[in-house]
Amino acid sequence: MSLKNILENWSHYRRAHEDGGHHEYEHMWGMAIDLNKCTGCNACSVACYAENNLPTVGKDRMRKGQGLHWLRMERYWDEPDLGGDEKEYQERGGSFLPMMCQQCNAATCEPVCPVAATYHTPDGLNAQVYNRCIGSRYCSNNCPYRLRYFNFYSYYEESWPEPLNMQLNPDLSVRDKGVMEKCTFCIQRIRTGKDAAQREGREVKDGDVVTACAQTCPTEAIVFGDLLDKDAQVTKLWKAQEVELGKTKQDKSNGELRGYRVLEGLNTDPCVMYMDRVREA
Amino acid sequence: MQTKDINENIAWAKINEDVLRSMENPRMGYWVALAACVAMILCAVLAEIYQYQVGMGPSDLNWPHMWDLYIATFVFWIGMSHSGTLLSAILHIIQADWRKPIYRFAEAMTLFSLMTAGLFPIIHLGRVWNMYWVLPYVSDRGIWPNFRSPLVWDAFAITTYMTSSALFLFIGMIPDLAICRDNARGWRQKLYTVLSMGWQGDDRQWRHFRRLYLMMACFLIPLAVSVHSIVSADFAMSIMPGWHVTSFPPYFVAGALYSGCAAIITLFILLRYFFRFDEYMTIPIMEKTCKLTFAIAMVWTYLNLVEFAATWYGHDLVAKELLMQKFIGPYAPFFWAMLFLGSVLPFTFAFEKLRRHLPTMFVVSLFLNLGMWLERWMIVTPTLSLSHMPFAWDVMWPSMIQWAIVFGSFGWFGMLFLIFVKVFPAVSMYEVKEMVFHRRHYHNDELESKSHRREGDRQPADADPSPSREGA
Amino acid sequence: MSGSDINRRDFLKFMGLGGVGAATLSGCDMPTTITLEEGKEKVVAYLAPEEYAIPGIGVTFASTCQQCPSGCGVHGRVREGRVLKLEGNPEALNGKGLCQMGQASLQGHYNPDRITQPMARKGGALMPVSWEDAWLLMKEKASGTAQGRSAWFTGTVSGHQSVLLAALNKAWGSKDHYVYEAINNAVGSAVNEAVLGDATPVYRFDKAKAVLSFGADFLGTWVSPVHFSREYGKFRSGDRGVLIQVEPKMTLTGGNADLWVAARPGTEGAVALGIANVLLSENQVDGKQLPQAALDVISQYSVSKVAEISGVPGDTLVRIAGYLKERSPSLVLSGESAHGHTNGYQNAMAAMMLNVLLGNIGQTIEASNSMVFDELKAKQGNSKAMLDFAAAAGAGEYDVVFFMGANPVYTAPAHLAMADKIAKVPFKVALSMFPDETTMSADLVLPLSSPYEEWATSVSPYQPKDAAISMSQPLMKPLSVETRSLGDILLSMLKYQGVKDYETFEDYYAYLRSALDSLPASVKAGKDSDAFWSAAVQKGFIKAPSKPGSLKVSLGELDQGGYQTNGDYPMNLVPSSNQSMYDGRNANLPWLQEAPDQITKIFWDSWVEVHPKTASKLGIKEGDFIRIESDQGVIETQAYIYKGVHVDTVAIPMGRGHEEYGRYAKGNGVNPLKILSPVVDEKSGELATHATRVRISKVGRSEELPRLGGSEVQVGRRLVSTVSADVFRRTEGA
Repeated sequence: MSLKNILENWSHYRRAHEDGGHHEYEHMWGMAIDLNKCTGCNACSVACYAENNLPTVGKDRMRKGQGLHWLRMERYWDEPDLGGDEKEYQERGGSFLPMMCQQCNAATCEPVCPVAATYHTPDGLNAQVYNRCIGSRYCSNNCPYRLRYFNFYSYYEESWPEPLNMQLNPDLSVRDKGVMEKCTFCIQRIRTGKDAAQREGREVKDGDVVTACAQTCPTEAIVFGDLLDKDAQVTKLWKAQEVELGKTKQDKSNGELRGYRVLEGLNTDPCVMYMDRVREA
Repeated sequence: MQTKDINENIAWAKINEDVLRSMENPRMGYWVALAACVAMILCAVLAEIYQYQVGMGPSDLNWPHMWDLYIATFVFWIGMSHSGTLLSAILHIIQADWRKPIYRFAEAMTLFSLMTAGLFPIIHLGRVWNMYWVLPYVSDRGIWPNFRSPLVWDAFAITTYMTSSALFLFIGMIPDLAICRDNARGWRQKLYTVLSMGWQGDDRQWRHFRRLYLMMACFLIPLAVSVHSIVSADFAMSIMPGWHVTSFPPYFVAGALYSGCAAIITLFILLRYFFRFDEYMTIPIMEKTCKLTFAIAMVWTYLNLVEFAATWYGHDLVAKELLMQKFIGPYAPFFWAMLFLGSVLPFTFAFEKLRRHLPTMFVVSLFLNLGMWLERWMIVTPTLSLSHMPFAWDVMWPSMIQWAIVFGSFGWFGMLFLIFVKVFPAVSMYEVKEMVFHRRHYHNDELESKSHRREGDRQPADADPSPSREGA
Repeated sequence: MSGSDINRRDFLKFMGLGGVGAATLSGCDMPTTITLEEGKEKVVAYLAPEEYAIPGIGVTFASTCQQCPSGCGVHGRVREGRVLKLEGNPEALNGKGLCQMGQASLQGHYNPDRITQPMARKGGALMPVSWEDAWLLMKEKASGTAQGRSAWFTGTVSGHQSVLLAALNKAWGSKDHYVYEAINNAVGSAVNEAVLGDATPVYRFDKAKAVLSFGADFLGTWVSPVHFSREYGKFRSGDRGVLIQVEPKMTLTGGNADLWVAARPGTEGAVALGIANVLLSENQVDGKQLPQAALDVISQYSVSKVAEISGVPGDTLVRIAGYLKERSPSLVLSGESAHGHTNGYQNAMAAMMLNVLLGNIGQTIEASNSMVFDELKAKQGNSKAMLDFAAAAGAGEYDVVFFMGANPVYTAPAHLAMADKIAKVPFKVALSMFPDETTMSADLVLPLSSPYEEWATSVSPYQPKDAAISMSQPLMKPLSVETRSLGDILLSMLKYQGVKDYETFEDYYAYLRSALDSLPASVKAGKDSDAFWSAAVQKGFIKAPSKPGSLKVSLGELDQGGYQTNGDYPMNLVPSSNQSMYDGRNANLPWLQEAPDQITKIFWDSWVEVHPKTASKLGIKEGDFIRIESDQGVIETQAYIYKGVHVDTVAIPMGRGHEEYGRYAKGNGVNPLKILSPVVDEKSGELATHATRVRISKVGRSEELPRLGGSEVQVGRRLVSTVSADVFRRTEGA
């Protein structure tokens, strides 16, 4: 990073975080989540527990806020200024928002980790290296989405009494106390998919990799894929909604398009696009 | 009313005698205080052992409150460390000689608060046993810490500051250690012989000593300022509302000086009372310290207001929301307490009667420090409690484990300080002599009496040569 | 393979019985075709490697989820002899999706509280015994039972287990097979049968432009939620359909409604009639589809009268009618909160009337594909079975009762005194995986294998596309050698009973092979026995021929009867079902206990939902403990306050408050079913679960609710923003 480089690319440095050396991404895994279809049924969240060896922590610890739920289903009620206050009932139902790690390209969690336990992979993922983590928890504090969870205890004995431990997925580890963790976009599935493609001597194609949440979603509201793959369904959805990476505000030809990224104004550049909830009136 | 910083007629031998006496024959009270400190440390050690074995869970830290008292208290102790060395260095450079009787213990305070502060980032780690990973040690795997992280900067800044402060303290103590050496027996003599590094007091040594000491002072001022700026970067570099504040570096430095000055007043009164340092730690010197504290308090208040105004008129709605929540939310009592203690209470310094009254000042200084501790807590916690994602809003109260460790940290500090005052001279003998010498030869009594504040005050000439006991 | 002693060789032997291992195991769609023999893999040294058990490679096998009666097809991912993860079977009716209950069913399979060996009551306590002793005990106590003195009490059963069960009952001379489900659609089915001549017609959400649902939680628990969720996805895309939900407590479906309407419980029929009234009088809908008697009843239900009865504002009724008129075809459904009343049948009938009036029959309600093999069809549960059983058991009619797949001691209201009545039966046998309340009150407990350890067939009650027989195959070797599948136990009992047709079968697997072998050639599509079997197991189901159905329309009586109020008990109690604990069977699954409720976000405990108006009247704050008192008893739990429950109603979810059922279920929360009043739906005889009146008061204790999430509104951020359906149809409409 020479001075000349900095001066010449000043606008770039002003705009974005340094991107960890990956100027050329191999993949850019992303999602498109249609909140018009999402029913908030929570199947994605439990599928995530099953796939990713998430411990159950019990009532008291869960109430204390020490649970680990990589994919949390948020539920909001309509705000009072939208008529919620005068009306006697919650007439428009709830607003459901499945929140998993947004795999930001300018992730705020990455620069603050003192030991570089979280970094950006050439796949566009925000990786967390459990072995390297020392548990300073700074990343979680600096995640505006609050999507990083900490192992406040060791759970391997309490959460998986025999034979529950036989269900543990051997493709990824069980994290011990003192380690930060978060949604990985099912990186073990990505690895399996890439390996399979390599074995067959071809490129990874759309549908080779499906995350646990996208796979189980009963309404198929979650679409997962490679944003660099022009033929991927997720890319088409992003394009149709005129949502692009690398922007803090989307310029759309049609202001009525539903695509947006949560808190994109913070310049975190997330890889998950949501599409507005729809209500009749 | 005592007006002189120091009685210029005090004898050299008496100075030595008084100071050396303070280092000997600890009384019962000393042992009780030391035992109390050790007991406090034990509390913290037990809590930490439990936390180490079980995980961070018992501290009741949670999602989203990943940080709480540990980090708040860390910042508090870092702040405490500022007044000693920084003030000593500044006052040394501007040749404010009233610093001379009090800078020694203030510098010791710096070192010990750094030693206390440094424990907290370690205690708060989820995997303490890997703490050395933040340091850029040579590893055959070629793995380095993340130099972009403010926590790594912290590690560098604090270790640098700690080393330099320790050196500054030690270098400034060398001539005194030689005096100790000359008056000591047994293990003390051996210790001081080694530590005084063959100090003979000849001209060459003094010349080098002066030069080095001045250089150290010049080096320490920017260093100290940068240390707390870097600590503020832990917050200011983040994206969170209430942390992402441009004015944080000066705000933290001001807060640090503030709490440090308050701590100096506390220890000043304690030392003066218990070691009968009335003749050195005089009321006028305390008055000066109080005035300085008041000035810093006002700077701190101003920076607070700047932050409020900038947030209020700014475009960051989340930060604004957080500010409002600080005023009326669940943590509001603590926030208002902080504002009262930090901004209103220092007005007691505006009254001469009060600032010369030791018991009042003792209580006030303790409250000021409580206010500054609350300030750090109110920086760390409300932001985590309330941020961009409303679903992650939460109010959390720290558990006894956290309180025990915070409590124990005061014991740790106290223990170090208690040991210090019995092993090293808490008042700089050679500099007090310099001060007295200077007063004797260069101060114009007439000028002083003219510039004196009130009619009817006793003239310097008939000032009571015996040590003042007022208020003690 | 932490601590397990799964032996790959045994597993393969088990899987490969009959010499079809390879074909059977060539399972599904994952890269399973790479074998070590082909040499494409670099292999870590592995003693005596087995075919298809490649270290590090997961293989999927098809099976069927048994966590609720809908019977979704699943693919289990198996690695190194352990099933690790379930996914939906893309070819089954649920598609690749699976609900959270299905996902969590793995924790049932691996549950640490599973019963691992037979137990018999000795000196008051259940003690482990060997299978020999268990069979001896059966012989002694059950074999000599007089004709008609034995009964089975089960949950939904179907497939070949149902065939065996029927054969066993026949051999025993007992007709009494009670099929019970606490969450059922029995009233709806009765109305469907009466009006359409088809108890489970096909609902075409994908074709509907508007859905009006009276308490049918079709996204959560109603009939076949995962399949309906898929259809809901289609319903919501393109020319996006409108969903209107009328119910006393917001269900998951209600939470997704465009218009959620809180009607006073039991007045759903009146609301339907009021809407019909508006449709006929203001929206110029032709009433000629309806019989004159119906039109007469409708004309009595003017908007103002209905508004008064139901508490639904008149303009809301007009708005609903407007949607239904505007957006045709529509679909009107009714579910348990409409059915669980003394007039439940009429409520369902009124909802059906709207379908008739709007011309939905044949459009969005189609005839079901009724499978030709009647004996395999699901025996669907209802709650009348439990009432009948309670009466019969109380009268001492049985010497032996077998329990399987149902937990009446837990789900029965206190007024039935189910535990006492069961205690009167001299010999009770429970076939069970878990130590639930009913099991723990039995005299003999036979440990069942899990659905993922056994061979079985089942038939979903709801058959929207083609009729199909679902296959269950073992996804792994049984965790405990002592457990037996239901089929095996039934077969053994038949053999003990000396029923001739079954003596030749070595085990249930052999029976199933032969049973499927004997299916007509048209089903087998020309495949030989082995190929057909492999195909069935690979696919997870067998397409079966169906009788083309047809729908008639003969509307029944609509008159709604009066609505009682009760001064002593001013509130209604809704024991709500949710897609989590379900009827209590999922309370032992920690994932589901920890998964927050979809609407309230409360976990690990029970709660009572209270409307803010009621709460402020009584001075109740969130987290306060509330005493809910009916004429049958009292329960206490914490309050959650929101606007998703009717003002005069409190709702408590079913499924918690277990006294047994293992470490995760025991002692968590309360069971609202216990305080239900003894009222039934007059027409169908079903338990009127939603007709209990209660009064509530503060206990005086308060505690932080175990609830996930801080703010319940978005506070001005664009997290979930909402656009109007018009915009959606403009930009994305088909």
